[in-house]
Formats: sequence, structure tokens, C-alpha cells
Amino acid sequence: MGRPVAIIGSGQTNHGKRFDVNYPELVNEAVEALMENTGIDLKDIDGVVFGTMPSMMEGVALTHFYFADVLRAVGKPILKTETCGSTGISIAITGYYWVTSGMADLVLVIGSEKMNEGDSQSTMTSILDPFYQKYFISGAPGIFSMQSQEWSKRFGIPEEKVRAAATRLSIDHHNDAFDNPHAHIKQHLTEEQVNTARIITYPVRLWDVCPASDGACAMLIASEKYAKKLGRKAAWIKGVGYCGEEYWFGDSDKVIWQSAIQASRQAYKMAGIKNPRKELDVAEVYNPFTFQELLYYECFGFCDFGTACDYTLKGVFSREGELPCDPSGGTLCTNPIGATGLNRVAEAALQVTNQAGAHQIPNAKTALAHAMGGVDQYNGVMIVSSVK
Amino acid sequence: MSGKVGIVDIAMTAGAPSHENFLDIVFRVCREVLDKAGVSRDDVGTVISCSSDVFHSGMSCANAYYWDAGAALLKNGSRQDGEGLFALAYAAMRIMSGNYETALVLGVCKGSENPENDVITHFYTDPFYLRQLGLNETIAAALQKREYMERAGITQEQCAKVVVKNLGNALGNPYAHIRKRITVDDVLATEMVMDPIHSLEAGPKSDGIIAILLANEKKAKQLTKKPVWLKGYGSSLDSFYPGDRDLLKGQLPNAAKRAYDMAGIKNPKKEIDCFEITEPYAFQELLWCEDLGLCGKGEGGKLIDKGTTSMAGAMPVNPSGGTLAMNPYISRSLYRLAECVLQIRGQAGEHQLDREVKTALAHGTHGFAGQCHAVAIVGA
Repeated sequence: MGRPVAIIGSGQTNHGKRFDVNYPELVNEAVEALMENTGIDLKDIDGVVFGTMPSMMEGVALTHFYFADVLRAVGKPILKTETCGSTGISIAITGYYWVTSGMADLVLVIGSEKMNEGDSQSTMTSILDPFYQKYFISGAPGIFSMQSQEWSKRFGIPEEKVRAAATRLSIDHHNDAFDNPHAHIKQHLTEEQVNTARIITYPVRLWDVCPASDGACAMLIASEKYAKKLGRKAAWIKGVGYCGEEYWFGDSDKVIWQSAIQASRQAYKMAGIKNPRKELDVAEVYNPFTFQELLYYECFGFCDFGTACDYTLKGVFSREGELPCDPSGGTLCTNPIGATGLNRVAEAALQVTNQAGAHQIPNAKTALAHAMGGVDQYNGVMIVSSVK
Repeated sequence: MSGKVGIVDIAMTAGAPSHENFLDIVFRVCREVLDKAGVSRDDVGTVISCSSDVFHSGMSCANAYYWDAGAALLKNGSRQDGEGLFALAYAAMRIMSGNYETALVLGVCKGSENPENDVITHFYTDPFYLRQLGLNETIAAALQKREYMERAGITQEQCAKVVVKNLGNALGNPYAHIRKRITVDDVLATEMVMDPIHSLEAGPKSDGIIAILLANEKKAKQLTKKPVWLKGYGSSLDSFYPGDRDLLKGQLPNAAKRAYDMAGIKNPKKEIDCFEITEPYAFQELLWCEDLGLCGKGEGGKLIDKGTTSMAGAMPVNPSGGTLAMNPYISRSLYRLAECVLQIRGQAGEHQLDREVKTALAHGTHGFAGQCHAVAIVGA
């Protein structure tokens, strides 16, 4: 296999409705934050990986052109990776391969989105073909509510129990977000507030859904030699997995969800993980919807199919639990799509290098980061560790 | 490079607008390349495609639609945006990492289902300054050409000669979209699409879906008698605003140097037998030749005058007919690469060069006046 690869630093913008900056300024903020956090001068980078969700979301195509200067990419090699909502993890994986292949020693990876510049739901609806699917799927919530209904029906999980577990996640994550300086939505919620919030697409209610955020994330990925030379705490990339399935939504099972199962197993295999709930110390699961997070616990093998609600209600996945999930508040509280997956990786790396501040999970050594994309079509997983 | 990466086989469509369904074409091309190599879909390690949302028949997330048609069902894969050679490089990295024995590179662009290229390239502009100017790639190229004429003394006739040469070369290439036996006067008699660029000096808008199977050294030798090796790769990005740049001093020398260094090439003029250059506008072939080191700065015109870059010349450029003959925007540089592979293998048929081709160069560019360049070197 290739050379060891380390994440040696990251920078996130403050996420939210960022009408105070234009899009390149927003991207620049993440790069400046990275430089401030690491003290590394970016003139030595060997290349830049950049990605967003569909770049027309903000009305500008192939945005690596427009952002060339703020990406610090002028005169540098570049790769532009895009895989829908999973872009954030795909760019991290691209950076990993660039370095592990020996083609580069130090790569700057940047993901961004300014969702409030345009109509993100319309953009996402245009992922669907113009002949069959576009007419009956409106934006993301419709897709995910179908998936959640199918899951609870398949395993005979009572509706009240699913609701209770989803509510628990919603309350926990919106609380967790107070400890994450970069999070977008921070809210103290009661069960009643979550359970009676307006319905978006049944059973998904307002507090089950992520916001539309503006934000960017920048990360430095380095070879062992450079990680040592720059003297930074390293989060070693131990495993990567990615899997995509059929384009047509009805063609595949979205409950025994192969892309999620296989992406995680690829990453576990590379990292030598047999029992993820025991061996992982923290997981940054891509959770734009509470219900989907429950399903991911099962697909990733944190627990058996049909049991995620019980484990969640027991607190197994809360910050004090056996496997804390999304202590940053996760995607549920902050979702600038092109940056979101990279935020998950950045958070996982902060945890295993003991730099997560107020939302640090004590003694975290091994962490999982994940992102999902397309119409439930793609999943990508990365395992990082404090040990090479 | 750690470990060699070999090109095993290629399948591609011709450039003329096709009425065949998008997914059917992708499937057929992927099927063909696997059949040629004698492998099944299960033998493909990873799939890296290149496509672009704005060149994608009105759908966003261009990687989604053709994923399963593109041999990638339940596989680890990824997508590059905008430049075919990015996908080649990324797929090569995945093989070099030791994680995969084989990788399928897929370039997807069905030009006939999209608006005119300039409608699309206009969306590269920022919303504040360039958008109001109506800038697109042809306008940027016109500014660049005017500067080239003023500063280097390049003439309209020299640019027209590039068209005559390339469209003539395309006569022998079954994959080309535009083939013409024409004269310099014919070119100069066509209307200006954007002064000083005549309509024949601008590439067409083509369909082009191409699949390339890569493998590591051991596997490549098992799968084909004539593997072609990826020897070097480099890319470079320029600043965004054309007004901030010297349009005659772009990033191609940087991209080329990276590729030459990796391939151990000291003298490209002597060591490279065939050049496939992305020249959506005729004058750019001359400018890019300078940047690639085929001649001195400002001497691109002499190259074409002397016939140096003709099929029979010392440095043949675009024996396939180049981008002027075949321009599927996103995958066009992979078509350049495909030609290099055919030439090295001696499989280019009627447009085979009359010389031994050991090493060849494929170049790709996209963006205003060549904002981004990528260069790949392949050899026997």
C-alpha cells in the first residue's frame, strides 16, 4: 500500500447566513483560519484539491477558476473533485490519494458552499432526470422521509419510538452545537418543541432537518516526512471507503443500504477495525436528518438493524456514551454542502489530536468521518487515528 | 513515480451529434473497453469519471446520472470536474497508491444536448464584474489572439494554416467531428465569430464519451501486448481575472515543466514524437507550442510556416485533427490522449504518422484564455 498520510490542520469559517462576505471572501476565511491554526505558510503546497456541490447553486460554474487566488492555487497543480453532497469527503479522499501515491507531499484541500446565494432545493431537484423522477421528488426532505418510513416499517419499529429517538438526537445535537464555535444553528430545545414543530415532509419535522448554511473548510494533508518537518500533531488517515449505487431511486434498497454498508466496510478493512462500536472513540456521521442518522448507526455496524432507536434512547451515542456521535452538532446544525463532508473529517481530526476544545471527547484516538451524496446514491467514509 | 501506470485499452464515440440515449452510449463505451481488454466489470478496481454540471444536459451533480451505466455500480470511485486529464491523473494516483490494480477513466460530454459552449462558459464569470461584460471563452480568446498578433506578429494567414492542417489531418480520423479539405483563403473568407477569430478558427461543439482502462505494471502486461505507460503529468492554474494576467505568459510552461520533470524529458523537441494539443481556437496551437518548448517565444508562426508541425514534419502536432476537428468540451483532452496511445501503438490507421512514435504528449486546457492547463506524457 501507499505511504502514510496525515491531516496536519484545518480551518473552518463561521457558518450561517453569511451575507457579510462574498463567495471568494468566504473561502478565503477558511484558508486564513487554517493558516492561523497551523502557522504554516501555504507557498510550499504541492497542489490544491477543491470541490463544491453543483457549482451552479451560486450561479457560477467551475468555481475553481473564480477562486484561483483565494485557493492559493495560482501556479499550482489542481484537482477539482465533485460528487454531490459527498463532495466534502471525496475531496479529502482525493488529497489522501495524491499524497499516498507519492505524487505530492503537501496538499491543500478546500470545500465550500454559499447556499443562501441561490435556491439550493431547486438545484438539488435538478439532480433528477427530466423524464421520470424530477416530477415527484422535491428537494432533499422528500427523499429522506421516504427512506425513514421504509426503514421503520421494514423492522416494525413503532412510530412513537422512532420519534422519541429522533427527538433525543435533535435535542442533543442542537445543544452540542453551543460547544462548537463554528456551528450554525445552536438551540436549547424541549421534547415538546421538537415533537410539535411544523412538518416538513412527514415524519420529518423542522428540528429534524439541517439548515442551509454558508461556509467553507480548508485542510492540509501531508506525507509523513512533511508532517514531521512541520512539527504538527497528526491525524493519520487509516482507512478510506466510498461507494455509489444505482441512479434510479427505486432500483436499490435504501434501508439495507449497500453504499453506506460497503463504504464503511472498505474503510474498516483498511484500518483493521472489526468492531466499530468498541474500536471507534467518536464518529462524525453525516446527519442532515435525525432519522437518517439512526439508519447510519445500523448501516455502519454500530448496532444491529432495527436497534438504533433503543441504543440511542439508552444514550450509547450521546457525548457521554460508548460511541459519541456528532459531538460537533454535526450536519444537523451546520450544512454548507460542499464543505460539510470536509467539516466531518476536520472534526474527526480535531478529536484524535485533542484539539476539539469544548466538545472534545476525552482520550479520543480513533474517529470516523462520513458524508453522503446524490439521491441517497453515494456514501464515503474515512477513519483517522492519533496513531500512525 | 512510484509504480508504473499502463494504459490498456480505449473505447470512444465519434464526435458528431448522436441521437442515441446518453446512458446507452456510456454503457456501450464502457462495455467496449472492457471487452477489448477481456475483463469483466468485476475486474475493474475503481472508476474515475470526468464530467461537468453545466455541460450535462440540464442536470446537476453530473456524476450521478451515469454512475451505474459507467461500470461503477457499488464501486469505489470519484469524479473530476471540467478537465479530462484530471480524471486520468487521479485514476493513476489510485493505482500508484497500491490500492487498485485497475482503474477505468471515463470522460462524459454529450455536447449536442447542451447550449452553445459560449453560453455555458459565460457562467465561469464572477457575478460582479465579468458577468456584466458578457465575457465568455471566445471573447477571452479573441482578446488573447489580438494581443498575440500585436506582440508576436502572428498573422491571420498563420492561424488559418493551423485550421487547414488540422481539418486536413482529420480527414483520416474516423472519430473526428469536422473534416475539411480547405485553403487558407477559405478560412479567411468565413465570417468573424469574434474579431479577430474567423468561424473556422473556433472548434465545433461535439459529442464525446470516452473510456480508458488503466492498470498497474503487472496487470497491464497481462492484459495487453502493447501497454502504453503514463510517464509524466503536470497541471497548473492561473489567476482568474484576464486583466490581471499577461495572456501570452500563462501557466502552460509550469504544467509542462512538471510533466517533463516527471518523465525525465530534457528536450521535448527531440524526445517527443507526437504532440496532441487542445486548441479550441486556431492561434492557441501556435501559442501553446511556444509554451511547451517546441520553439522560442513568439516563434509559433514560423513553426506552421515551415511545416514543422505537419504530419510529415519534425514535430507533428494534432495528427488527429485536434480540437478544431473534435471538441467535446469536458472529454476533449482525453481524446488527445487517445490519439497519442493510438500513434504509439501504430493503430491510428489512415492518420498514422510515418515515423516511429515512442513518446507522445497530450495537453488539455479549459477556462478563459487558457486559465488552466494539464499535460500528460505517455510512452511505449
